[in-house]
Amino acid sequence: MPPAGIWIDGLIQSCIYMTMAFGMVLVFSILGILNWAHGQFYMFGAIVVYYAITAGGIPFPLSILISGLLMAGLGISVRKLVIDRVKGDLYVGVATISLIFFFEGVASMLFGMQDRGLSTVLPGVINLGSFSISYQKAAVLFFTLVVMVAMYIVLNFTKVGLAIRATAQQPDAASLYGVSVGRLSLIVMGIGCGLAAMAGSIMAPVYAVNPFMGRIPMIMSLLAIVIGGIGSLTGAIAGGLILGFLNSVIAYYLSYLSEVVLFLLVIFILLIRPQGLFGASLK
Amino acid sequence: MMLFIDYKNIIPKVVTGLLILVIVLVPMITTNVATLSMLILSGLLAIAVMGFTLVLRTGQFSLGQSAFLAIGGYTSAILTVKLSLPFWPSFLVAGILSGIVALLVGMVVLRVGNIYFSIITLALSEIVRIIAQQWEPVTRGTRGLITSPPPPIFLGRFEINFAASPVPYFYLTVCLVAATGLIFWKLGESRMGRSFAGIALNPVLAEHQGIHLMKYRVIAFTVAGVFTGLAGSLYTHFLSVITPYVFGLWQSIQIMIMSIVGGISSLAGGPILGAVLLYSLGDYLTRLETYGIQPLIFGAAVMLVLIFLPKGTGLVDLWDRFWRKVVWREKEFEFDEVEE
Amino acid sequence: MKRVYSIATILVIMGIVFGITLALKPAQAAEPIIIKVGTPSPLSGPAGPWGQIGILPSQTWLDLFNKEGGFNVGNKTYNLQSINVDDMNTPEGGAAAAKKLIYEEKVKFIVSHWSWNFPSVSAVANQAKIIYLCRTGNEAVPGGVYDPKKQPYTVFANPSHEQFISDIFAIAEAFPNYKRIGINDSTLGKGIGWDYVDRELDKAKIRYHHEWYPPGTQDFAPYITRYNEAGCDIIYGAGDVMAAMLITKQRWEMGFKSWKTGTSGGILDPMMYIGVSGMEASQGFMGQYFANWDFKKTKVDPKKIKRCQEVMDVVSKKQGKPFTYTAWIGWFPHHIEILVQAMQRAGTVDDPDAIMKAIRGGTFDTTIGKFTFSGAKTYGSPIVFGTPGCMSQIKGDKEVYLSEHPLTNLP
Repeated sequence: MPPAGIWIDGLIQSCIYMTMAFGMVLVFSILGILNWAHGQFYMFGAIVVYYAITAGGIPFPLSILISGLLMAGLGISVRKLVIDRVKGDLYVGVATISLIFFFEGVASMLFGMQDRGLSTVLPGVINLGSFSISYQKAAVLFFTLVVMVAMYIVLNFTKVGLAIRATAQQPDAASLYGVSVGRLSLIVMGIGCGLAAMAGSIMAPVYAVNPFMGRIPMIMSLLAIVIGGIGSLTGAIAGGLILGFLNSVIAYYLSYLSEVVLFLLVIFILLIRPQGLFGASLK
Repeated sequence: MMLFIDYKNIIPKVVTGLLILVIVLVPMITTNVATLSMLILSGLLAIAVMGFTLVLRTGQFSLGQSAFLAIGGYTSAILTVKLSLPFWPSFLVAGILSGIVALLVGMVVLRVGNIYFSIITLALSEIVRIIAQQWEPVTRGTRGLITSPPPPIFLGRFEINFAASPVPYFYLTVCLVAATGLIFWKLGESRMGRSFAGIALNPVLAEHQGIHLMKYRVIAFTVAGVFTGLAGSLYTHFLSVITPYVFGLWQSIQIMIMSIVGGISSLAGGPILGAVLLYSLGDYLTRLETYGIQPLIFGAAVMLVLIFLPKGTGLVDLWDRFWRKVVWREKEFEFDEVEE
Repeated sequence: MKRVYSIATILVIMGIVFGITLALKPAQAAEPIIIKVGTPSPLSGPAGPWGQIGILPSQTWLDLFNKEGGFNVGNKTYNLQSINVDDMNTPEGGAAAAKKLIYEEKVKFIVSHWSWNFPSVSAVANQAKIIYLCRTGNEAVPGGVYDPKKQPYTVFANPSHEQFISDIFAIAEAFPNYKRIGINDSTLGKGIGWDYVDRELDKAKIRYHHEWYPPGTQDFAPYITRYNEAGCDIIYGAGDVMAAMLITKQRWEMGFKSWKTGTSGGILDPMMYIGVSGMEASQGFMGQYFANWDFKKTKVDPKKIKRCQEVMDVVSKKQGKPFTYTAWIGWFPHHIEILVQAMQRAGTVDDPDAIMKAIRGGTFDTTIGKFTFSGAKTYGSPIVFGTPGCMSQIKGDKEVYLSEHPLTNLP
């Protein structure tokens, strides 16, 4: 039985994977495409917060909101300028992949390639007996909780949420009911990218900020979605949780073999149950 | 007389032929090692891209092409370095072994649907890398293997020395690319090849018509695997070194980009165009002094190409359209487009 | 009369010729001949900052070197010019960079720092008979990829596994009451290099424990727990610097505040580490420190010390803020001095075989002291040596000297 610290650690990891996966699934269910550059919004979220705090002196919670909004805007512009202009699912996929390179280039030029830390944000540690947890990590937990609750409320109790769920299931029927599918998909793109950015922002003090920090979260959220089932929002949450805990626990027991084990696990799941835990059976 | 020659069809083909002649004569124009190396490496990648396009013809995305490059490369490296076997047999075995792996993996994995197949093949690249890294006694792990170029060939009194300059290697690459291109093109035109296209467009209908889906998908995957393995072997012997990180996940993704930008409608021309153009763009960009700008320009270039290309085409189709619209001034015949 | 005229003409002509020779001689102060040296290093991508930070000090050092007269071989004066190319920290990038340098830029030597490209750069350089000096990693250890017969033009001025050994000795000497040193490396570095290091550490009775992590790991809690269970109280990061910074931060947050942490490789800028790990957690963070003016156990020629300090000043002024990174002193200038002194001893700049002969087993005096190439038994050819293991630690927001383990020759 791994020590308590490992479980808490796993929980924190899952929080981020969950948030990212959730955003990715939202975008996928409305737009029908996987945004490969999802991780880049995570990275930009962290960079915006870095500048907001160090250059602007804006307090952390406000910076997170600002970066979320800014990146939602960026997501919407990406949608209009790039994704809409490229025709064909295949080509959109390649376009979002090239966005990865483009954004990393932009970030490298603006931010530089050196790692910069934000250790001065929320310093300190909470001591809980056999293990301790930093305020920054506790903030991640709190943030994820808030986001999940907010998403739940929005999706189930607001008109927008209802529209989103309807469009995800049956876009044509939804538009018959007066939902402006075009505008809605823009809103959803904004929410998805904003979520990724806020995940990046809340994580910025925990590790470090650099232009390449988006790659691994993107791959992890992809794996989380695969485990949970591609079209499913609950799947994204479940997948994120499982992946986060697995990562920490396997690393504790097997250190570097954790990489191999995770990959084999994902393949195993794909071969046995391709639709993941909660996904609908794909043709 | 002009009325009896189908000049609209022949002239573009003649021009293409002349261009190919120019390419073959490149070493006469420049013996710059760096340029030749770049062409050789992009040519070998083009073979992997052709493999990707072939598998795409059957409706599947193989994001594992770099795994076969790695398998081919490591096989021929291990055979020549550790077992001291001669080059040419090792080269062939590399291709065969790659093909066998493709066959086995394909039989198991091609049953699964589109995106899952892609993810599994993506994972395949990583798994091959991990095996190469951990299987120390055979692959020497992260340290890799150092390989040497093929031994000199003697034709009468004329010696082809691969070590002295990259020119012989260039011609070797051109031969392999041409051979692969011809074989793939023939495959595409053949009855089996045209069934591939049917499978891609409408698998259900194809199955109803008696086309055995799995069989054709596995065949395409295996053939792609064999030639990619051969390319991987040449790549390794040219680079003189192979480590687990030479061929990786991101390279598989690059191969996919090269195929799509080059044009998936063509099995030989498209991949070659995509591979050579994108690889040289990447290479050229490394000469720029501001280091963040390389991925930026690369990403922007690909996006712009995708935005401005008409639906469903790649760069290679521009050639066709150039002749039709600009030279012959034909009017575009628009088909009713079916929404996907 | 005719005779008088002929003699007079001859005398006049001789006078003119004599005069011209006199006039021309002083004007023949020859321009120094420029020799190009190629320096492939990672300049883009995640490893970019480490390659980039070395460019300015190295070029400044060369400028000073050339200004103070360059070097002479025979009766000719030579200046050096370095050509930087991005090798992208990959084998292909290394091969491409080496080819560009050798065939396009026509460099005479290749001097490099990093290790991932050693096999491919070495292969290209040896094929073209270009001498290649580098710092290497895994590939060069005994039983590794280096083969003196296949790579006669390759020299490792300091293999990183020797470096790890000296660093760990220096740390053990700084904290004689340590319990156990945890050695943290990514799976990229896993290989027989570490077996070799372990043998040397065992011989010196050092207590250690290895952990390997997949590259890109950011969450080190599982690994820190394992280190704790193994009884470690010092963590030496032999992998990427990010890992070392994150372990420093996370061990502090997990309550292991008495543990010391450090990294192999110079400290780029103390503020970077403080920024990531936090001021308190980074106190005592160790890194490689080649500030030859602070060396206590290794003697360095004062002229070389002065030049290095001058470089630090010039670079500080150029970039507008204090330049404190010292690791460059152990790499580029010291490699160049080996080449220069070897060329002078061999009496030629054009014959790589003669220059290599002067390098093998030779004794050289460089920016990190005097040393003799050794390693005949270990590597099959005496073309290797290590650098002194000199460690610094972060105190406040500055880097200060911690300890030093002097250079020892390899068998």
